[in-house]
Amino acid sequence: MSDHVDGPRQIGDPAADLTDLFAFASPGNPGRTVLGLDVFPSAGTTAMFSNVVDHSIVVRPVNIEGVGDAARFKPGAKEYRFSCRFSVLEHGPDGALIQRGACTLPGGQELKFVVNDEKGAATADGVFRVFAGLRSDPFILAWLVASLKRFPNLLEHDNVLSIVIELDPRRVFDLGNGSLLGVVAETTPVPGPPTLIGKPPPRFDWVGRPEQTNMRLNNPAMEGTEDLRDLWNQQTPFAIEEELKPLFRQRLIDSLTNWDMRDGKADWTAATLGAAADVYLDDFILIDVSKPTSDTSYLEIEKSTLRGHAYQTGGGRTVNSNVVDIMLSWMVNNDREYLQGGAKSATKPGVNTFPYLASPNTELQTVLESVELSAPPDQVWALIGPFGGTWHPLIAKIRLTGQGIGQLRTIETIDGKQIIERLAAMDNSLRLYRYTNISGIPAVDYTGTLAVKPKGSGSSVEWRVQYWADGQPDIVVKTIVSTLLKTGLEALKKRFG
Amino acid sequence: MNQALNVEVNFPPATDGHIAVVNLKSARAQFWSRFWQAPERSGIAECLVEQEHLAAQFLGDLDAFNRLETLVCEFARVDAEPIRTALIHAQVASMSHRFAEARSYLAQAEDQGAPPAAVKRLALGIDQACGTGIEAVLEARYGMAAESGRLEDLVPLGALLADLREFDQANAIYSQALRAYQDVSPFALAWVCFQLGALWGELVPDTQPIRAAQWYRRAIDYLPCYVKARVHLAEIYSQDGRTDDAEVLLMPAIASGDPEVSWRLADVLNASGRSAEAEVQMQAARSGFEALLQRHWLAFADHGAEFYAGSGNDGRRALALALINLANRPTLRASERAYSAAVGVGETHVAREILAAAANRWGWTGAFRLSPLAAYRAESARSDAGSSASSATTRPNADEARGGLTFSRIDDVHAKSLGAIT
Repeated sequence: MSDHVDGPRQIGDPAADLTDLFAFASPGNPGRTVLGLDVFPSAGTTAMFSNVVDHSIVVRPVNIEGVGDAARFKPGAKEYRFSCRFSVLEHGPDGALIQRGACTLPGGQELKFVVNDEKGAATADGVFRVFAGLRSDPFILAWLVASLKRFPNLLEHDNVLSIVIELDPRRVFDLGNGSLLGVVAETTPVPGPPTLIGKPPPRFDWVGRPEQTNMRLNNPAMEGTEDLRDLWNQQTPFAIEEELKPLFRQRLIDSLTNWDMRDGKADWTAATLGAAADVYLDDFILIDVSKPTSDTSYLEIEKSTLRGHAYQTGGGRTVNSNVVDIMLSWMVNNDREYLQGGAKSATKPGVNTFPYLASPNTELQTVLESVELSAPPDQVWALIGPFGGTWHPLIAKIRLTGQGIGQLRTIETIDGKQIIERLAAMDNSLRLYRYTNISGIPAVDYTGTLAVKPKGSGSSVEWRVQYWADGQPDIVVKTIVSTLLKTGLEALKKRFG
Repeated sequence: MNQALNVEVNFPPATDGHIAVVNLKSARAQFWSRFWQAPERSGIAECLVEQEHLAAQFLGDLDAFNRLETLVCEFARVDAEPIRTALIHAQVASMSHRFAEARSYLAQAEDQGAPPAAVKRLALGIDQACGTGIEAVLEARYGMAAESGRLEDLVPLGALLADLREFDQANAIYSQALRAYQDVSPFALAWVCFQLGALWGELVPDTQPIRAAQWYRRAIDYLPCYVKARVHLAEIYSQDGRTDDAEVLLMPAIASGDPEVSWRLADVLNASGRSAEAEVQMQAARSGFEALLQRHWLAFADHGAEFYAGSGNDGRRALALALINLANRPTLRASERAYSAAVGVGETHVAREILAAAANRWGWTGAFRLSPLAAYRAESARSDAGSSASSATTRPNADEARGGLTFSRIDDVHAKSLGAIT
């Protein structure tokens, strides 16, 4: 989400839209470096890479050319490019769709792989290992950014298309002049024969530090300012046009000033804000591959350098780094106080082993059953409206705890199982109640709605349940829920005709 | 006519159509999941409307209309922000051609302080679809296209120019849209190619089927599942006697459920002498159209009229639907279709009233002079000694320009049609 749907150019094909970039030391083997990028914000349970887009992670050595308010990170000219390209879809032996890919490594070696193969592919010498496929989106955005209010993670249950490259930095990068590197990701058109119609853009999207575009250049609290995101995305990474730098720098200063005052306190001086803007203008993730990275080391290199002392960590950005909270704490109060958003972890936190991003989320399931009855709505509601009513034939006993919204019902089924549900909303005038499941069904975020509506001279009962399957295959959970709903409604049909 | 683009040159690359469809379905499912979790959350419903629009437009997934109705009901039920609710209602109503309802919601949105640009964009679409204030729409479309230079602003301008029979200009604008595109979505590029196919295959007075077929094929190359492009190309093949090719094109599109596919396939099968198979498809088409008309009658009145005027073989129903469509969106093209349907069933008085209304509304335009209705009007004027054909060439007053059809017989037929459909 750090760069999701960030400009008009990205609205065309979501598979070309970069969302995140990662660079960290492998938790299982700190001697190895992991680089990763994500595309396709809010992907569902099946998604494929575009076959006409090159997905690249580009690394350059970086020198520190000043500290304190003169802090500058200057990228070198040497470039290490890891570029993945994907095929059109094929049908596998079982009829399932398959996509293949190839990653061109620095030096030109090509590593082929199959999308969604969790083992990925490795070069014979073990220097490189590559994975590409659908994963759970590890990003945490638990703020309403414009108003800076805490909120549950806005990307809960989303998936993304990820590319993960694990490598041995000592055998890939020339570290003779230092181990500090700058990393960016970009999506560019696959080179092809010239077309007589139009001209492809140099790139579709690029990303360095998270939220450069959506929170700094286009601060949502600064209404009425011109949207510079598209112009920024047209810039060449590591080489922002000199004549545009003053424009971007001023916007960054204005935006950082706004962020600083979000809590009503000025924690930054004009000089330090300007220095920070200069650092942000050189937009890449900084990682020192000779030092350890952690979930809290993101931006440590920049902060230490701006504060005039040597950095201690490898910086980088791990999969589980809560970069928005880290960034907000720095921008809003200069790390005086940690700003914790409304969620501490992503839907599925990243893992310690390759490919480091967790398996994709399953799809929200909806089970909807309804029945038409001859009896008027009030008569039916009188029976099924009470949250503790025992009208369902699969229920042996119900015990209520508490009163009103929030009360719990503990259901004992006729086969001895226990289900606990919580009343979330009750509207007797609409003859509707909503509840959530606490336990007893292998699902999360389980919400049920039972409603009785007039239908001709009789009524109709609609029972809708939504959930994410948890620990059991979708089909198994769906069968459990469907049986529960259908059996209940059939009993009502028998009773009311 | 200038040929701005050669269809055989290399075209802008786009993501493979199969991948794009997988990804559209993926994103759509995810947004529905998000919607059911928190319907009022910013941006979700708006994205769903766009995605369902794509599904209907390109995949022939007409259930999208039902899903959107569910969306607006749920959105209203959860009492989301009034401006968003009104804008989404307006957008969905407009998609279903319920233009009066759409205008009403748009007015609500405006009253509540909706962003003027969002209101203007929707209002323009409605005015264009209804042929209302067309000079102002044209000016606004030119302005938007010049300002953004983007495909999504250029294509509606091209469509408007085509409606106004400014075919060379429409062609040039579509070509510009292709040149301007800077992304890799095959939906956008297939859309322009389809529009160019329709321009050369259906809209110009002397149609150029070979040229149109090239554009339709290009659209299908971009997006193999593009149902409308398959249907239109199959029509050209059929007219050229290539029934086998037409059948090959239509068969994969049957699964979309769009009744137009069954209709055209029935025609192809009949032309191949396979009448029993044709009858099965024709039944599917008839029941498909009726199901759509029952639920979204304004959205499909135009297509239904075309079906019943053709192989659907029910001229009265065709006229009734054409008149409903004409009353809903009194464009020149709707007038032409209604006129033709009225003549087809011998309703000469109705035909004359349609003709008079069209002349009154459009007679002053260049588009009318290129319309077959102009010739009918001239013929009618000659036969009606003393009639005032010249009055048809003056601009209509404001009320007339808003599209009110006030003719008694049309109203009669319209009322009967409403009764028959609703």
